[in-house]
Amino acid sequence: MVKYIRAPPPLVTIFLWFLLIESFSNASQSDVECLRAIRDSLQDPSNNLASWDFSNTTEGSICHFTGVDCWHDDENRVLNIRIADMGLRGEFPLGVAGCSSITGFDISSNNIHGNIPNNISKLIGYVTTLDLSSNQLSGQIPVDIANCTYLNHLRLDDNQLTGQIPPQIGLLNRIKTFSVSRNRLSGPVPRFINGTTFSAENYANNVGLCGEPLPPCQGPARKSHAPVIVGGAVGGVAFSALVFGIVMFVFMKKMSRKKKKGDPLGNKWAKSIKGAKRIKASYMYIFFWWH
Amino acid sequence: MDRSIVTILCWVIVCFVLVLERFSPVSANSEGDALYALRSNLADPNNVLQSWDPTRVNPCTYLHVTCNIDNSVTRVDLGNANLSGQLVPQLGQLPNLQYLELYSNNISGRIPNEIGNLTNLVSLDLYLNSLSGPIPDTLGRLQRLRFLRLNNNSLSGQIPVTLTTISTLQVLDLSNNQLTGRIPVNGSFQFFTPNSFANNQLDPLPVFPPTPSPSQGL
Repeated sequence: MVKYIRAPPPLVTIFLWFLLIESFSNASQSDVECLRAIRDSLQDPSNNLASWDFSNTTEGSICHFTGVDCWHDDENRVLNIRIADMGLRGEFPLGVAGCSSITGFDISSNNIHGNIPNNISKLIGYVTTLDLSSNQLSGQIPVDIANCTYLNHLRLDDNQLTGQIPPQIGLLNRIKTFSVSRNRLSGPVPRFINGTTFSAENYANNVGLCGEPLPPCQGPARKSHAPVIVGGAVGGVAFSALVFGIVMFVFMKKMSRKKKKGDPLGNKWAKSIKGAKRIKASYMYIFFWWH
Repeated sequence: MDRSIVTILCWVIVCFVLVLERFSPVSANSEGDALYALRSNLADPNNVLQSWDPTRVNPCTYLHVTCNIDNSVTRVDLGNANLSGQLVPQLGQLPNLQYLELYSNNISGRIPNEIGNLTNLVSLDLYLNSLSGPIPDTLGRLQRLRFLRLNNNSLSGQIPVTLTTISTLQVLDLSNNQLTGRIPVNGSFQFFTPNSFANNQLDPLPVFPPTPSPSQGL
């Protein structure tokens, strides 16, 4: 989308200027559509977005919408959308992707449910401030949020987010605010590549976050399938012991019955058993005995 | 006889001085002078500057000029006024100026260094003009600046690193110029994305590729 041109030849320059002018007008139209899509995807019971009126879309008209900041007041190019605390209801408005120059997005303190989009960096890749706090967002924090390289302020606190914080979030080297408190997150706190650390209150009220500034994570590096291995081993041993116990029980019974009743069939079987085949034969005996 | 001549002469001189002062352009008001200098250097086919009368005691009655309670200029609003010509160094003589709105005209020439003297400036909008030359590094002295929009001109040279010291900057648009060199990423420039620098000849911002995940916690 962004081109760094180095002295192109004249015809190419003219062509590029044409493209630029084209993209200029397209961008402004797409920003109008972006806001329209956002408004259409959200319920607004308190009519707080009443000023978002699309009947007259002249240049700069969207710049006076509640919560909308433009790059320039005479051009429909959105810089920030700040629609916090408006009782808005719905899922994360995917239409925001049409605002291609957006840097600030704040929909905190509303009733937004569902997941944070898995491809969020494709929607708002240049965002510098993202505030989704105090909503009802669920699911995991997507790894892709680490591709929003320019993030300075990221607030996800007071939601119902689960799972672990993707460690790749530590790659965000411009981050100055990071809050995930009051969620249902577990696992280690990310280590930020630029050395920034955040106080414990930014991680408080979760279910199992650990690591500096919180108490350290317990034990050696955990693998998530360890309990399965342990359970499998225990189960395998238990099963083998059960089978062995049944075999021994049956053998004992057979031996005593043989002495009492002189079972010819069992005798024949017992005589034909040799060494390693003994247990296998006794399995077959159990089968016939049960039937 | 001599005494009366002297007295008469004194009175004539006093009257002469009084009359002169009455008719001289607002010499007591340097802000009016500054704006008059600007008017003199601009071509104004739409006559938007017609009210800029230099004989006024201060420029606070001028259209497109706003003053504060002390009759000092705080705003100049001349966006989209079909003006051409050049800016003047006297613009630096408006110590209480907060908004300098000269966007969408056909103003050429350089941005005067003296604009760095406007330490109360909150908004500097020179976008969509034909300005050339460098961005003065004196703009780094505008420590209250919130909006710096110089996009769509023919500005050249490098982005002054002094701009990164302006902690109040909220909107920066330098796009569509002929700037060269490195894009600063420190200080207040941490807050700016490629959108602010697009369509120049600047070195691309370094992209951080996703690397294998670092060690997990402690």
